[in-house]
Amino acid sequence: MNRSPFTRRTFLSDMGMGFTGLALGAMLQRDSLASSPGWHPPTGMPHFPPKAKSVIWLFMNGGVSHMESFDPKPMLTQYAGKTIAETPFASAQDPAKLALERLLVPDANGNQRNLLYPLQTGFKKHGQSGIEVSDWFPHIAQHVDRMSIVRSMYTTDSNHGAQAQFHTGRNMLDGEFPTLGAWVHYGLGSLNDNLPQFISLGTREYWIKKDGLYLGPAHDAVPLRIDPANPLDFGKSARPLSTAAQNVSMDLIRELNGLRGVEYPDDPAMAARVASYELAYRMQHALPDALDFSRETDETKALYGLDLAPCRDFGAQLLSARRLVERGVRFIQIQHGGGGAGAWDAHSGLKANHSSLALAVDQPIGGLLADLSRRGLLEETLVVFATEFGRTPGSQGADGRDHHIYGFSVWMAGGGIKGGVVHGATDEIGFHAVENRHYVTDIHATILQQLGLDSRRLEIPGRKRLEIDHGKPIREIIA
Amino acid sequence: MIYNPFHGLPPRSIVAAWGWLLLSAPLQAGVDYVKEIKPLLKERCFACHGALKQKADLRLDTAESIIQGGKSGPALKRGDAGTSLILQRIVSADPDERMPPAHEGEPFTAAQVRLLQEWIADGAPAPADDRAETDPRDQWAFRPLVRPAVPVVANAAWVRNPIDAFVAKQQELQGLTPQSEAPPEVLLRRLYLDLIGLPPDLAAMDGLLREVSTDGYPGIVQQLLGDPRHGERWARHWMDIWRYSDWWGLGDQLRNSQKHMWHWRDWIVESLNAGLPYDEMLRQMLAADELYPGDLKKVRATGFLARNFFLFNRNPWMEETVEHVGKGLLGLTMNCSKCHDHKYDPIPQNDYYRLRAFFEPYQVRLDAVEGVTDPNIDGIPRVFDGQPDLPTWRFIRGEENRPDKSAVIPPAVPAFLAIPQPDIRPVTLPPEAWQPERQPWVIPTQLASAQRNMTEAVEAAALAVQKNSGTPAADPAAASVAGAGLNTARQRVAWATAEWESVRCRADAMRAVWEQATGGPDKRRAAVRAERLAAAAKAGHSLAEAEAQLARAASDKKPEVEKAVTTAREVFAAAEKTAAGPMEPDAAFTPIPGARWTPTRFLNSSADDPSIPFPEKSTGRRRALAAWITDARNPLTARVAANHLWARHLGTPLVATVFDFGRNGALPSHPELLDWLASELISSGWNMKHLHRLIVTSATWRLSSSAAGAAANAAKDPDNIHLWRRHPVRLEAEVLRDSLLALSGGLDPAPGGPPVPPAEQNASKRRSLYFFNSNNERNLFLTTFDAAAVKECYRRDQSIVPQQALALTNSDLVQDAAEKIAARLAQPAGPGAAAPDDPAFIRHAFLLLLGMSASDSETAACARALEAWRALPSGTGGDARLQLIRSLLNHNDFVTLR
Repeated sequence: MNRSPFTRRTFLSDMGMGFTGLALGAMLQRDSLASSPGWHPPTGMPHFPPKAKSVIWLFMNGGVSHMESFDPKPMLTQYAGKTIAETPFASAQDPAKLALERLLVPDANGNQRNLLYPLQTGFKKHGQSGIEVSDWFPHIAQHVDRMSIVRSMYTTDSNHGAQAQFHTGRNMLDGEFPTLGAWVHYGLGSLNDNLPQFISLGTREYWIKKDGLYLGPAHDAVPLRIDPANPLDFGKSARPLSTAAQNVSMDLIRELNGLRGVEYPDDPAMAARVASYELAYRMQHALPDALDFSRETDETKALYGLDLAPCRDFGAQLLSARRLVERGVRFIQIQHGGGGAGAWDAHSGLKANHSSLALAVDQPIGGLLADLSRRGLLEETLVVFATEFGRTPGSQGADGRDHHIYGFSVWMAGGGIKGGVVHGATDEIGFHAVENRHYVTDIHATILQQLGLDSRRLEIPGRKRLEIDHGKPIREIIA
Repeated sequence: MIYNPFHGLPPRSIVAAWGWLLLSAPLQAGVDYVKEIKPLLKERCFACHGALKQKADLRLDTAESIIQGGKSGPALKRGDAGTSLILQRIVSADPDERMPPAHEGEPFTAAQVRLLQEWIADGAPAPADDRAETDPRDQWAFRPLVRPAVPVVANAAWVRNPIDAFVAKQQELQGLTPQSEAPPEVLLRRLYLDLIGLPPDLAAMDGLLREVSTDGYPGIVQQLLGDPRHGERWARHWMDIWRYSDWWGLGDQLRNSQKHMWHWRDWIVESLNAGLPYDEMLRQMLAADELYPGDLKKVRATGFLARNFFLFNRNPWMEETVEHVGKGLLGLTMNCSKCHDHKYDPIPQNDYYRLRAFFEPYQVRLDAVEGVTDPNIDGIPRVFDGQPDLPTWRFIRGEENRPDKSAVIPPAVPAFLAIPQPDIRPVTLPPEAWQPERQPWVIPTQLASAQRNMTEAVEAAALAVQKNSGTPAADPAAASVAGAGLNTARQRVAWATAEWESVRCRADAMRAVWEQATGGPDKRRAAVRAERLAAAAKAGHSLAEAEAQLARAASDKKPEVEKAVTTAREVFAAAEKTAAGPMEPDAAFTPIPGARWTPTRFLNSSADDPSIPFPEKSTGRRRALAAWITDARNPLTARVAANHLWARHLGTPLVATVFDFGRNGALPSHPELLDWLASELISSGWNMKHLHRLIVTSATWRLSSSAAGAAANAAKDPDNIHLWRRHPVRLEAEVLRDSLLALSGGLDPAPGGPPVPPAEQNASKRRSLYFFNSNNERNLFLTTFDAAAVKECYRRDQSIVPQQALALTNSDLVQDAAEKIAARLAQPAGPGAAAPDDPAFIRHAFLLLLGMSASDSETAACARALEAWRALPSGTGGDARLQLIRSLLNHNDFVTLR
């Protein structure tokens, strides 16, 4: 029968009237959920004891070269200028090994690039673990003993549809699906009823602009600007009211809704709406505070590179991220690098491109890890550094690298992730992930595992999820 | 936590691991077959071993049939899990043995295996009424539609029309009493917002309220259904279901949908207003190009299919078409059969590709419209069968790189519905369909445009002559600049004249061919000549421009510009030579285009595919499919439509899964009512206004949404499934924005036309359905209130998030509206009348904004607030009445349809 997923009477008591509760309110009329006996919406509680409370998701738009960041490959320099076929690694181009590609939008890029292109920067061993990191990321490299680097990622869309794929776990040829952050938002309750629990910072490219998709718009990230004066869409009035006048208004709205509630009792939507107004009011005050750096020391600001022009924007986003995490925000999704398909998309001039972008992100990320760590926040905050794919071992044109899906790197730190670990490996020219290969949803599964969520228990009726959507936690990097 | 019991184990150790599990798992007595075992088997096994299919002659849908087994013998031995075949196959390490097979589903989890094992060990107990699945073809929605008799009910006095009898019958069975009718203010607001998407105006309010409470109600309904704004309101509903979208892509590159898609939107609005029957609307959307090939106004409807265009890959394009024809028109999740046979409905994988085959030949083009020569500026996006012979292949497991080329899949519809297969006959198109340049406006438009260019050129030249008519400049350089400018103007006249001549001659030659007139070859040669002369004149103009540039150039730039002049001179000389030279016997001219094929890039993403000509015939496939879908015997089409209509009037559908009427979908809450509405839709000639009228005049629709004093009802039916009251509804984004504009007196009522571009939306006062809306460009205010996502939106969300409160407090839209509303309400009611005092202001504000009469306590609360604002230190309270309006716009009932 046409059963509502939860009765309207239990609705009020189920929802804490915080953000998650309101998101549940979004489902008041989501009848497609209705047909499954025994199905319940998430309670907002983790399914098992979590290791992490929050996630800071750093995503480099366009595709970072894995060889010139976290998976150095000296063989590229040794065999520079040779075709892959001329090297001992010719088997990398075996068509059977290339078959996993599925493109949404083919373009003139994404072709095989045969001439090996030498490494454009040096690399050194760092930390006790002696993990090699490229010289473009010296600040991040200081933290290798806090990081697990997964060097054996692969994906399937060799165009930038892979950006969406990394967030949703699905190739865009299959359609559009909720992103990881939306699932976390859907599954977990709020740690702070004055702030949104899922925030997006930075530049979102064409490929994926929304998160909730079939979970509903209530699970979209709330986009924030790093501007305490005006951080939020509709957050500021062009014709502001005095606080006193606003208070009269708030009181009146509350009273009128209350009076109406006598005539229309037992209306959960009205209760949720009243709560949402009050929450909006609190949020208007809580957000500027969260984004106000005036009480940060100069030392902290410098840690994030706020005093350096190239780092300032990204550094401010990361410092905000730390402040939001301190206030209990669950999932902060930060996209770096706008323009075209993403700033890191170095089809030509890779050296100039990556060295300047690395300069912009390296110190802020290093600073974030240091700051979280010294405040004891890193233990419960999972920091992820990801990108949609790597770049080709071969050169594109004179000095670029093309999109590369067969092997690339992602790293994580904090939130119960082991430090000083390299997991998985690509072959000697960085072409294929050959050891402990992982599809993007294994990263999702690892994060959900640390948050105490079982993605199978988040399924909703009428929306079939596949095995590949759930992925498998990478147990080897979990402490 | 073990998600996947096989994770981390080498394959061959699985059996051993299971052995350990089986031994070590603590056995608990009393596994519940009905609650735990049967649902598990249903989810994992029934698709192949149930009513849908009986692979290996095995059914697992009753305990008895499991024991009985199939080809391999009994599948279960009571009390002996170890030797029970079902368990052996489920835990088998051999991928060829394991059930479900690798491509059909994941292995059972450890916990699931344990449950099954315990149940078998317990002796596989099942209740006596353990029943097998029914025949899938017996699914309620697949049965023929039979008009149910209107029930006789005890509460006959409440019944206004048959809808209420069906509702009352279920209420009575459940022991429920309907709430009272909503007050007139609420009814009036409902009628207006539901039927035209705009609130009633205050000036008319008193009269309307009298009519609503007396016998004027049907008259108001009649008037609103005849109001052109009704089409705008309901078009937006159907645009959700039919996935209307303006074009999107990357930068300027069109990748999805089509430019000028608004022609289809205007067709929807106009068709609804004209009362075009629903079945006819579907036929035109699917096949107007085959049914009415000469009638471009009707062919606009095929925007429904043109919208699915995707530049780079045919497969997602076809997949969206099949999926949403299935879900939107038939309530069938055909998309589930792309990779394998449907797990719930009797739809084999081939049926998916058979349905695709109806659409395989179609391509998209832009047809020229009167008065516009450039298709980038305007044109009608429409479909045509451009590739009639393109084969459809089944993709093995749905993988597009694995087509099964052993057999071409012919167009056909799912057989289980037992309606005769569509009768596909090719359609011979009239000339103007496949030679769109023959549409009567095409050549006149081109001629008029050429004429206009000529006139402009002549006027510009006259102006230039006039400018130069004074004493010649003494400075030779200045004289040279002036002379060059004059020459450019003259050359422009020559070019425009030659171009006009070219258009005229080419038109003549084309007509000669169409009319098979004599002298055709001469006219063709004249056209070729004229076109070449026009090319030469164009080159002459370019040369003059280059020379003028040279005259103006600074001396250090002259050498560079001289090079350009030399090149232009060479081009001009060559063009002149061609124009004057001999003509090859088969020389051809460029025909005047009447349409432009929308190029695809399936083969090479950096270049257009070879262009596809417009064939003289259409396959007739879509016409046949449209006839099948709208066949009155089709049990799904009318039911799906009636459910959509009901859902949008009542706030909740009769079948919760509006796009899935199959076995995995929800059951109807009121099966007889749905069938009656569907029958009524068909017997009224698929007249949607007839259904609108029936629904909004029913006692059910007129119920109050209050749950007050209905504790007994709420205890029996807390979710109001049996409609003992109305469901309150959050206003849709468009209704909210349009209402704000209407209430402030500033709504721009202009109908139709190109969409308002994103940059102009904040200032625009047009109705929201006219905003440009694509996957990538969506209006922030509207999306904050859950405007439709273009990819799929069979139901709107009704979210409640704090950003909505911020938008209703801080957006310019709301603040502007509040100021205008406050000013309007402060006006005297008429000439000579006094300006309203506070109580009158409050009363009117409640009526206008909330559709309710303010109670005494509400009036008092507002009066106190007005006083409080006025008492604030000077300047900090603002205009008190404005604050009141702003507060009321944040009242729950402003955004709620009570």
